[in-house]
Amino acid sequence: MPKTENAVAARGLTKTYGHDSTRVEALRDVTVSFERSRFTAIMGPSGSGKSTLMHCLAGLDTADSGEIVIGGKNLLELSDDQLTEMRREQIGFVFQSFNLVPTISAKDNILLPLSLAGKKHDRDWFNTVIQSLGLRDRLNHKPHELSGGQQQRVAVARALLTRPEVVFGDEPTGNLDSRTGAEVLSLMRTSTREMGQTIIMVTHDPVAASYADNVLLMKDGTIVGSIQEPTVAAVTEALASLAE
Amino acid sequence: MLHVALSNIKTYARRYIAVILAVAIGTAFLAATLAVNSSTQATLRNSLGDAYKNADLVAYPDWDLLGDADEPTRLDMKDIAAIRDLPGVSTAYGVGYAYGQMHTSDNGYTVALQPVDPNQRLGGLELLEGRPPLSGNEMIVDEAHAEDMGISIGDVVALGNEQGKTENMKIVGIQRSSTNPQVAATALGGLSEKSWIQFADGQEDFGEIVINAQGPLPALETQLQEHFASQQMKDIAVLTADEKVIHDVAQMTGGTDQLTVVLVVFALIALVVTGLVVVNTFSVVIAQRTRELALLRILGAKRKQIRSSVLVEALLIGIAASMIGVLLAITLMAGLIEVLHALVPSMSYATLALNPAGIIIPIIVGILMTVISASLPARRAMRLAPLAALRPFDAASVKNRAGKVRIVIGALLALAGAAGLAYGALEGDLIIAFLGGLVSFPGILMLASLFVPSSVAGIGKAVAGNSTAGKLAALNAVRNPGRTTATATALLIGVTLVSMIMVGGQTAKASLNNSIAGEFPVDVMVALPGTGLQEAEAQDFAEQIGELEGVDATATYDFGSATAEFSTEEPYEVQLMAVDPQSFADVALAEGIVPKDGQIVFTQWPTEDASLSIGGQTLQIKSSTATVDGNIVSKQTFSKLGIDESQAFSGILVKTDEQLASSKINDLVSEIADITGVDSSMISGGVVMKSMFSQVIDVLLAIVSALLAVAVLIALIGVANTLSLSVLERTRENSLLRALGLKKKQLRSMLATEAVLIGGVAALLGLVLGVAYGLLGARSALSSMGAMTYEIPWWQLAVVLLISIVAALLASVTPGRRAAKLSPVEGLATE
Repeated sequence: MPKTENAVAARGLTKTYGHDSTRVEALRDVTVSFERSRFTAIMGPSGSGKSTLMHCLAGLDTADSGEIVIGGKNLLELSDDQLTEMRREQIGFVFQSFNLVPTISAKDNILLPLSLAGKKHDRDWFNTVIQSLGLRDRLNHKPHELSGGQQQRVAVARALLTRPEVVFGDEPTGNLDSRTGAEVLSLMRTSTREMGQTIIMVTHDPVAASYADNVLLMKDGTIVGSIQEPTVAAVTEALASLAE
Repeated sequence: MLHVALSNIKTYARRYIAVILAVAIGTAFLAATLAVNSSTQATLRNSLGDAYKNADLVAYPDWDLLGDADEPTRLDMKDIAAIRDLPGVSTAYGVGYAYGQMHTSDNGYTVALQPVDPNQRLGGLELLEGRPPLSGNEMIVDEAHAEDMGISIGDVVALGNEQGKTENMKIVGIQRSSTNPQVAATALGGLSEKSWIQFADGQEDFGEIVINAQGPLPALETQLQEHFASQQMKDIAVLTADEKVIHDVAQMTGGTDQLTVVLVVFALIALVVTGLVVVNTFSVVIAQRTRELALLRILGAKRKQIRSSVLVEALLIGIAASMIGVLLAITLMAGLIEVLHALVPSMSYATLALNPAGIIIPIIVGILMTVISASLPARRAMRLAPLAALRPFDAASVKNRAGKVRIVIGALLALAGAAGLAYGALEGDLIIAFLGGLVSFPGILMLASLFVPSSVAGIGKAVAGNSTAGKLAALNAVRNPGRTTATATALLIGVTLVSMIMVGGQTAKASLNNSIAGEFPVDVMVALPGTGLQEAEAQDFAEQIGELEGVDATATYDFGSATAEFSTEEPYEVQLMAVDPQSFADVALAEGIVPKDGQIVFTQWPTEDASLSIGGQTLQIKSSTATVDGNIVSKQTFSKLGIDESQAFSGILVKTDEQLASSKINDLVSEIADITGVDSSMISGGVVMKSMFSQVIDVLLAIVSALLAVAVLIALIGVANTLSLSVLERTRENSLLRALGLKKKQLRSMLATEAVLIGGVAALLGLVLGVAYGLLGARSALSSMGAMTYEIPWWQLAVVLLISIVAALLASVTPGRRAAKLSPVEGLATE
């Protein structure tokens, strides 16, 4: 598979919800691409369409029209099974509410996408990921025996283990206190720097966004700007101007 | 994926208790049914089939094969000898008795004697002691009667045959007593074949010839059939021993094995209920796991994987639960038979028979039923959108996709089923009615979303009155119409079936009682032992019995036989029952069976004749269809007919109190037995049948109600589940209400009202449906047996309603506590 510069590329995405009076245009002709090995944050006020964009990019929701290319394939042309395979092989997820399967151990949770695909895991890579996330002692614990930060690190490990084309984060620090939140964000940033992982994260926290390489700003279903190498102050200012 | 399913079962084992319980009980019911069937066969083989339990083939004269004009074949020793000569026959012996009187120094007994040949399997007898009779003056007797008469090996008894020829016989052996209830009452014995032929003196008439084969059975069977055909004995049928037992049993039970049919119907209902419970429980379990399943979809589980994970869970649960169920059934059956052995020693022949099919079939059916029932919820789980994992508790806004398709299909099913039910009820066709019920009920359930929420809302509004909590509860109860419908439906199913069984059982009992009353002329009939008229004794007993509690009236009768001459038919030996018309009128149940002097109430067959004559006396015929052992005449008439009184006997007729409980009837029967010194098995009549039927129906009702109670219980767990889910969803809202000034107590009563509304309305709807199904079902099952008497057990139905409401109230306790514990601020803080 020829590697392009972009891990994810979308063109002309539109998405509307509801009918007539309740009609909401969540995405209006969005064209955007995400460079490989970069950590991008998508920001915007409530209702700006940032979550819808992420859900569409991740193949969880279907756009009404347009094209999304990940790993050389257009998501909108895939069947449900192909899309599912795409999710488990090319896409990783880290959610706000940790979203681990409560009945199985941390290790089984991390290995879940691979076991769903019926594949063996790469032992060295597994060790590397576990090591870098500091989960070695926690592998046999059930999710409820872990702290919030530990649970989220398990989720990050799960996302990284398949070496996906892209990892999506949906407010990954939303349920964490600021210290553990910072820890998780650092780990995510490290994974882009050291493992070359592409990460796209939706957040409305300027502090979280400041860990990214790049911030995309959204409003009313379109992308209205971007900030390279963002700082907390720059992001806060940009958001404030969006609200006007 | 398998380990996810496994760990689910491990972690949420408690959620599956309901399913396991339901499947186990359903399977146990089926297994017990099959075990009853095979045990009945084995038991009957041990009793009715006692004579040929080690046999291969049985040849016997079959009335059905006999042409109208033909005389039935009498099988004698020559016929047996001919069969022994056939190639392929190893042994052959006749089962037939020659009767005689056996006297010891103290007393005399009637004895039924069989020919015994040591080379022919001893004629099917089992020798316990001594040796078989070989020479002319040797005989064996059965153990029980030998003990009774106080005779043992080496004793000499006098044996007289029917022609009055008496010889001294030496007892050389003791045979096992028969377990065939049809012959066990008489003393049994055996003679060598040669002396038996002399003893029988031309009266040989074997009921069966029992044959064991040397070679292959089918070949011998054909050969025997050809043999009898060539001997012009076309009425002789040849069956395998098993077939013969089934044939005998069928004759005894009136053509069909009704017990099995009834049990299988109940087992089918049990399985349908279980299936519905499985569907329901799995739906709840899957609803609880929506987020988790959707998460698996996000992480790359294909739709099929989700479905198979649910099905694997169902499979494992099905396997475990079915095995538990079968084990339960076997334990239960073994226990019952032990109890029977302990309580009724004469039933020692009752046998627990387990055949592999009886174990494997219920397990397979249980597993299949679980998996098939789970496949519906599994399909729903498969269709979950991955995004469902990311929505915070928005299941509350589930749109009711009841859809037109579902309503149309539901309406079609309900109408088609109702038509089937109506047809079945009108025509008395149980199978069509059962299918109709089976089709209409799911149809009604599919339509439930049309009438359940509106019923709940309507009744809620009416009941709530002015209390705010009540009004809120009424609104809350229908906020998620889909979920309310599902919860209520589960309860509705259980209540419908319970009330259906109650109404059906009650109506069946009432109708059977009525048809028995129509068929049996008297409640209790006691025949005094011995021959010769004993009017004074009978009168004395009748007075004593009249004193007993539960007895309304008594009368006496005499019984004798005479040859009747008809104007249009051949002379025929008829039984006569002579009564005093006045006292008989007090005990007679059926109409028009009290004779006038010079009249005979003729019950033998329907006749057009106006009169018949006995002993030169002309009697006016009054035709009746009542089931009486004889034709009824007045005692005055009886005395003029010149009946041989030495062969006649007397007896007592009893009318019992109509309100007499069936449990008291057995006591009354044994009291009567004590007074008259008659064995209680010799006491017959309608009341005994009635008590037997009521007991059978009561036991079946109890079993089925217990089974269905489980369904109701599970449905109530469903109510608790739904409330918990609602409480969880409405955390914010409930804290808001608390913040605005709703008291804890009000919050709890709000939830309780909601639960009672859902539970009460479901139970009410279920009762209405159940009564309808019960009446229709009973009519289709029983109308062919005679006039129907419809009875609705109001009290029992009220109890069902009350239980549902109280249980719904209880179901609200835990969720209510959880909701009330929430502080106003805490609730608002949660997402």
